Amino acid sequence: MNIGVGLSTQREPVAAAREATRLAAINIHSSKVDLAIVFSSADLACAALLKTIHAALKSRVPIIGCSSAGIISNEGIFKHGLVVMLLDFPPNAYFNIACVKDIQRVGAFNAGKEMGDRLLHGFRNIHRDFSVIFSDGLMDEASNLISGLQEKLGRSFPLVGASASDNMQFLRTYIYFNEEVLTDSAVGILLGGKLSFGLGIKHGWKPLGKPRTITKGEGNIIQKIDGEPAAKIYEEYLACGLPQLQKEIRRISTLYPIGLYLPGEQEYLLRNVLSIEGNGSMRLQGNVVEGAAVRLMIGTKESCLNATLQAMNEAKKILFAPIVEMTKTEIKNFVFVFDSVSRYMLLRRDASRELEIIKEGFGRNTPIIGLYTYGEQAPLKAVSYQGQAHFHNQTIAILNIGG
Amino acid sequence: MSALTITGLAAAIAFLVIFLILKIDKIKKMQAVVDKLKKSLEEMDEQAKLIVRTDIELNRTQEELDKKITGLYALQRLSRTIATTLEESQIFKTIDSSSFDDLGFEKAFAILWDEKENRFSVRLNIGIPGNEIEEHINSDKNTYLELMRSGKTFCSIATAQNPLLKEKIARFFKVNSFVISPILPKEGEKGLFFVGTENTDVAINEGDEELITILSNQIGQALENARLFEKTWHAQQELEKKVEERTRELTLALEEVKKINKRKTDFISSVSHELRTPLTSIKGYAAILIEEKLGHLPAAAKERMEKINRHSDELVHMVNDLLDIARIESGRQTMKMEEVRLKDIIYNAADIISIQCKNKDIELLTDIGEDIPSVSADRVQLERVFINLLGNAVKFTPEKGKITIKARSENGIIRVDIADTGIGIPVDSVSMLFEEFYRVDNDINQQVKGTGLGLSLVKHIVEAHQGKIWVESKPGKGSTFSFTIPAI
Repeated sequence: MNIGVGLSTQREPVAAAREATRLAAINIHSSKVDLAIVFSSADLACAALLKTIHAALKSRVPIIGCSSAGIISNEGIFKHGLVVMLLDFPPNAYFNIACVKDIQRVGAFNAGKEMGDRLLHGFRNIHRDFSVIFSDGLMDEASNLISGLQEKLGRSFPLVGASASDNMQFLRTYIYFNEEVLTDSAVGILLGGKLSFGLGIKHGWKPLGKPRTITKGEGNIIQKIDGEPAAKIYEEYLACGLPQLQKEIRRISTLYPIGLYLPGEQEYLLRNVLSIEGNGSMRLQGNVVEGAAVRLMIGTKESCLNATLQAMNEAKKILFAPIVEMTKTEIKNFVFVFDSVSRYMLLRRDASRELEIIKEGFGRNTPIIGLYTYGEQAPLKAVSYQGQAHFHNQTIAILNIGG
Repeated sequence: MSALTITGLAAAIAFLVIFLILKIDKIKKMQAVVDKLKKSLEEMDEQAKLIVRTDIELNRTQEELDKKITGLYALQRLSRTIATTLEESQIFKTIDSSSFDDLGFEKAFAILWDEKENRFSVRLNIGIPGNEIEEHINSDKNTYLELMRSGKTFCSIATAQNPLLKEKIARFFKVNSFVISPILPKEGEKGLFFVGTENTDVAINEGDEELITILSNQIGQALENARLFEKTWHAQQELEKKVEERTRELTLALEEVKKINKRKTDFISSVSHELRTPLTSIKGYAAILIEEKLGHLPAAAKERMEKINRHSDELVHMVNDLLDIARIESGRQTMKMEEVRLKDIIYNAADIISIQCKNKDIELLTDIGEDIPSVSADRVQLERVFINLLGNAVKFTPEKGKITIKARSENGIIRVDIADTGIGIPVDSVSMLFEEFYRVDNDINQQVKGTGLGLSLVKHIVEAHQGKIWVESKPGKGSTFSFTIPAI
C-alpha cells in the first residue's frame, strides 16, 4: 500500500486544495491513486474544494471525508486547514464507498440499512475486513444509523466512525462525497481483502457522585432519572438554573457528559447532551436504555492523556496479529485519529501532547491523519457485546490500517 | 393440653420473642449502618458537586487564560508584521483573519476617514462584505466620526456607555460582542478599528478591550511611520532627481569648458607660431643693426635698437612658454621620461640660481634626504620647474633672506619644498596663483616684468609627471611651494 499525505493551512479553498493535493501526490510515490480521504476545517467546506482536488489528481479518484473543528496530521493540529490523504491499495485489497443523504427524512435506521446495502454491492465473494464511516455531527439518532448499518453488515462487524464537526458553533457540519458537500448525510467505506487493522478506543473520563438510574427514557431521550426530570442532575451538580443550562448544555456536557454503566466494560459509555426540553428531559447524541445506571462524568488532562496512551497501545497491538499473512516489513500502515472535540476543550494547549503520544507510539514516519469529532463510533471490547459497535462521545478512536 | 406442652409452648414463644427482639435489634443496627452509608453517599455526592463546580470554574479560568495567551501571541504576531510594514497600503493587507480567530473574533474591519471625499473608506474587512460596511458607516457617519474623535474604545460589555448605539452596531454587523477602537495617527487620515463575534458562548472581557485598543494604537503608529517614511522617501527621490539633473548640467558645462579650453589652447598655439616667425625676423634684423653690419648707428638709435632686441627676447621667451603650455595641455608635448637622479637636478638648479642669490646676499640651503630615490622624469622639464620656482623665490625674497630646498621620500612619493623668507602671497591670490597670466598685485611685480606664465607652466609640467603642486604662504613671512613626483 502506498500512502501520501498533504496538508495546507491556506484560507482560500482552491489554493488550499491545490497545495494539499500536490503535496499528497508527491508523498505517495505512486502514479496510481485509488482513494482520497479529505478532512478540512468547516470554513473550507465547499464544492470548489473537492472539484480542485479532483482536477489536481487529473482523474476521478473517489473522495470521502468531512468537516471538522480541527484537523490532525503528522505536522500538528490545525484549527484551519485541509489534509488530503491519497491511498494506493495493494492488488489483493478491495474497497467500496457509499453515501446516504436526507437522513432525517429517511430515518437514521433506514439510512444505515441503505448504506449497508450500497457498501456490500460487489462485495459478495470477498472477505470483508472492516468499515469506516463519516456522518453528520449534529444528527439526533447517530446510534440508529449504526444499528441500521449493522443490520446489513452483521452485528459484530468491525465498524469505526467519526461524526463531522464545525468550528464549535454546532450550526452545520459537512460530509464530503466525491465532489459533493453534504449535510444530513453519511458516507462510508467498506474495506476487504488482505488489509489488517488495529483499533483502540478510550476516553479517560471518571464517574463522579452517586449512581443514578434512568427511570424513564427511550431512544436518545432521557425523561427521568431517579424519578426526577433528567436535567436535574446537571442543575444540582452545577448549581445553575434550567434556562442557563438550556443555553450552555452543549459546552457543559462536552466536559461533563452522562456516563452509562456497561457491565464488563472498563470504561463507562459516554453521552453528550444535545438539548434540554422545558420539562427537563434531555436529548442525547446516542441511545440509552431504560433502567440503566448513569453517572455524571468528569475528565482531567492526565486521565485523558492516559487514555490516549492506552488507545494507542491497543491500536498497535492487533495490527500484526498472526492472521495477517505478511511479514511485518512488508506492511505499510497509516493511522486514523478520531478525537472528540471534548478532549480538545479539556486539553486545550496540551492537545499537541496527545498527538505526540500517538506519533511516538507509531513511529514518526507513520502517516497520521485525523479530525476532531462530535461523536465516535467503535465496537465495545467486552465479550458480552460481541464486538458490536456503539456510538461514543469524548473518546479518542485510533484506527491503525495496514496492508 | 398437658402442663408440659404449655411449658414447651411458652418456652418457644419466649424464644421467638427473644429471637425477634434480637433480630429487630440487628435490623436496627443494620439500618443505622445503611443510614450511615447513605449519609456518606450523600456527603460524597455533595463533595462531587463541589468538585464539579470547582472544576467548571477552573475550566473557565483556564479558558480565559488560554484566550489571553493566544490573544497575546496573536497581538505580538500582528504587531511585528504591522510594525515592519512601511507602506500604508500594505499595513492592512498584512493582517490576516487567523490572528483574529485566535483572538476569538471572526469579524473585523478598519475604516479611514477621507477628509476630501467627506466619507469613510474601508481598508480591511474580514467576515463582512466591504461595500456593506461602507454603505452603513457612511449613512451614519456622524455617529462614527464622533466615536473616532472621542479617542476612546467603545465596547459591547461596557454597561454605562450608550446602549442604543451598542445595539445598533451589534444588530447591523450581526455580532453579539464587539470592540471598536479609534485609529489615531498624528498626521493624515484617522479611522476606526472594529472586531466582533457572533458567538454567544464566549463573552468578551476587559482583556479583549485592552488588546484591541493596543492593536489599534499600533495600527495608528504604523500608519504614522509609513506616512513619514513615504514623505522622507519622496523627499529623497526628489533630491536624487535634482542631484542627477545638476550633475548632468555640470557635465555639460564641463564639456563646454573643455571645448572652450581646447579652442583657447589651439588659438594660443597657432597665434604663438604665427608670432614666432615675425619675431625671429625682428630679432635678426635688430641684431644686424646693433652689430652695425649695415653701417654706423647713432648712439640714441643703438640704444633704442637694444631695447627692441631685449623686448624681442622677452617676447620670444613668452611665446615659447605659451607654446609649451599649449603643447602640454593638448597632450602634444610628450614628456621624454628617463631615470633621473633628483639630487643632480636640484644641485644643478641651485648652481644656476646661486649667482642671483649672491647678488642679493640670500642664503641658499639644500636639505635632501639621503635615501631619495631616482624618479622617472623629463630632465629638461623638471629643471624648468626648479629654475622657475627658485627664480620666483629669489625675485620675491628681500636681501639677506633665505631659500631652502628640501626633498623627502615617503611611501613611494617624493615631496619637494622650496621655502623662502620673501614677501609672501596674499590669501585671496593663492587660489589663482597657478592660472595663466595671473600676476599677484605687489610692488615687486609692478617693478619687475613677467609673463604670468611661469607657475602655470610649472603646474602643467608637474601634473604631466602625475604629481601635485600647491603653496602655503604667510604674507610678510614667506612662501613654501611644494610639489610631489612619484619615485621609480
